[in-house]
Amino acid sequence: MEGKPDGALLIVAHGSTVNPDSSAPTLAHAAEIRRRKIFADVGCAFWKEEPSLRDALFLFDAESIREVYVVPNFISEGYFTQTVVPRELELNGRITERSTGQIWKYCEPVGNHPMMTELLLKRARDVASDIDPAEATLLIVAHGTDLNENSAVAAKREAEKIRALRKYATVLNVYMEEPPLVSDWRKLTKTRNIIVVPFFISDGLHSYEDIPVMLGIAEERRLSSRRPAEDGRLESRPSDVFRSNPYKLDDRSLFYAPSIGTDPGFADIIIEQALNAKS
Amino acid sequence: MANSIERCLESVLTAPLHCGQILVQETTTGHFVLSHRDDKPVDQLKVFRRAEDASNIAKYDDAGNYRPLKTAPNLRPGWRLELDTLEDLRRALDYFYPGRLAIFAAWKSGRLQTTVLRETLDRQSGMYRVAAKISDSQIDDLVADFCRSNGGCLRTILWKRDARATLTSTKLPDEKFDPNVDQAASGSPSAPTASTTSAATIPLLCQEACNLLIAECRKVVKGESALDL
Repeated sequence: MEGKPDGALLIVAHGSTVNPDSSAPTLAHAAEIRRRKIFADVGCAFWKEEPSLRDALFLFDAESIREVYVVPNFISEGYFTQTVVPRELELNGRITERSTGQIWKYCEPVGNHPMMTELLLKRARDVASDIDPAEATLLIVAHGTDLNENSAVAAKREAEKIRALRKYATVLNVYMEEPPLVSDWRKLTKTRNIIVVPFFISDGLHSYEDIPVMLGIAEERRLSSRRPAEDGRLESRPSDVFRSNPYKLDDRSLFYAPSIGTDPGFADIIIEQALNAKS
Repeated sequence: MANSIERCLESVLTAPLHCGQILVQETTTGHFVLSHRDDKPVDQLKVFRRAEDASNIAKYDDAGNYRPLKTAPNLRPGWRLELDTLEDLRRALDYFYPGRLAIFAAWKSGRLQTTVLRETLDRQSGMYRVAAKISDSQIDDLVADFCRSNGGCLRTILWKRDARATLTSTKLPDEKFDPNVDQAASGSPSAPTASTTSAATIPLLCQEACNLLIAECRKVVKGESALDL
């Protein structure tokens, strides 16, 4: 793979002041990409965590870093990729030249990459490896009704692409806040096996609690932002919800996957988006 | 090849080195040992050996609560992080205090630019646009409480309130704005004055108000602040 010895990668993401797991996938992808030594430096910046997007203006010394590839770790274009990130990073468009001569290249968000489709298929295979797709329904869950966000559009596009492959008996988009609702999955599906993949960038309240409650595989409780219990204690971890597959509900088997953004394959997509930057 | 941030780190690496609540010591074999400044050598410390371990150590405070602000003075004690290289040290410090080493290196080389609070507030959009309505006197009180070193944040404030270069809060001590003062020592109840130790210090410099403060400004404007302003 082509290296960028005088180029740096900056992964920008939302982050959270309340969800300890929000930035974890972004940091993990950055660590993996750093390990591959493709870029001279790899950094992260967040809207809600540190380093901030404003801090990122000072992360890369123009003396050794001539180009900075900014890859939004977002599922779709929207308010953050189109308004917040360019404003905070003082980007003028796809290519911005700083007063130092350093060039910043603003890349496409990860969710736009064609490899997302393969990653969704892989995640579905991973969570239900013994299940024949031809006898299963794949549900791709998005939020829906997001203000200025297009995550529902992106989820719909991915479902259409997977449907066209004719691997699964049925492929459906379901949403948390607009029809077709996640909670209606029994009415929406006819197969015995159901595979559910949340189309989110990280795990958190939605994937740990909201969606499981809507699916009927977990009871409502207050998700804690506290440290998970150490081994040997009775308190459960939020991620335990992904370890109890399959859930037997009536005569159905339901397989529930972690959010797509936690897949290690995201690191490959981030690199691809950087290397595909317009020059 | 070491980058400019590692070179800057190397230039201040004298034993011991203080960075926020962290003590960095270089061993005779050229390795590095990091620990919490409040821990004593005799304490039973859990040993870690990867730079990435710093991310998990820094994520929760001693009571198990998530730490959204990594420069808050609530880093948990009880650990010892042993690292092999300068690159590992840089990465670990970057997990403990994200971005602060780069800001320090930019400041040392004269490249750091600060942004006044009013400019940061006026730039906001969406739900944070309303934050710009905060009054000067409310800023004075809010910053004094939210950013104070003893219980708020260990950063050294470099930004001003407005383009007239007004001090951001008249209620914070002068030391809060001085990069030569060790905020972790000055903010500690047991050491109310600036550090007098011979250790070198990397200050946690704040060149622009963080989003947590902007969110607090919004709460003040909307009357949702827990502070009695």
